[in-house]
Amino acid sequence: MAELLGTFEQAVLLAVWKLAAEAYGRAVLRAVMTSLARETAAGAVYATLDRLEQKGLLASRMEPGTPVRAGRPRRYYRLTAAGIRALNDSKAALEQLWQGTHWPLGAKA
Amino acid sequence: MNQCAPPRWLEGILRWCLPSQDRETISGDLLEEYRRVQWPQLGSMRANLWYTRQVLSFLAERSFAGSPLRACLTWLSVLTMSAGVWLAFMEQVLRHPGYAARAAVAGAIVAQGLATVLFLMLQAGRAFRLIVLWAAAGAIVLGASAIARILNAVHFEGFVLLIGTALMLQGTVTMLVAGRWQARARR
Repeated sequence: MAELLGTFEQAVLLAVWKLAAEAYGRAVLRAVMTSLARETAAGAVYATLDRLEQKGLLASRMEPGTPVRAGRPRRYYRLTAAGIRALNDSKAALEQLWQGTHWPLGAKA
Repeated sequence: MNQCAPPRWLEGILRWCLPSQDRETISGDLLEEYRRVQWPQLGSMRANLWYTRQVLSFLAERSFAGSPLRACLTWLSVLTMSAGVWLAFMEQVLRHPGYAARAAVAGAIVAQGLATVLFLMLQAGRAFRLIVLWAAAGAIVLGASAIARILNAVHFEGFVLLIGTALMLQGTVTMLVAGRWQARARR
């Protein structure tokens, strides 16, 4: 089994998965904020994208910039096979952890 | 709309704190959102505030990310710098005999903290690392002598004990972090 992912890493990877061809930094940031339902620092999301790419869970490509970006390129992300495997493993591990436990938990007598 | 832009100095800070491979893409993302969303909806002043918040989030990421030791060192440096500023301010207000010398020591504490934070942010070269190491040694000596003095003094001063301890801790952690980098650079 691959290294298990933290909640934030899972949120970023899932955002990239859901956005598909539109997964660039700001779009990922917005998707992460929506899925976690909280304000998220841009720096944290970009740093996580970088880290996940270094781990080989994400790959990126550059697209040429537009005038509104002063010609600066845009970096699009996609999940690699290792990234998909890591997400699947994390979900499976979580489900296994909760197996046989009724949810939501109540106070024990 | 394409003419509106965040302050150049702010964009300069952003580009400085980004890794080279992300400098163009991230600053482009922020510029696009500034021009397409923030500026038309919020106007120039609030859009600039939004941009400042974004820059601060990247600065914070650069300063606190990495090992817990680095984050601890950044917090300790912020603490010693704040203490130094407070000391210098109080010396100026109270003006007890010899205040100029003590204000200079407070200035040195601020400079040492600032140098440590810059060292962490810039991941600076060998010469700067050596300066920071010597400054850290100075901070340890200063902290130890401050603690020794209040332990022998008639009046106990909790604030001096706090600063002395923070200086010793900060100096020790700086030596650990800078020493590790020194060892890594040799490999």
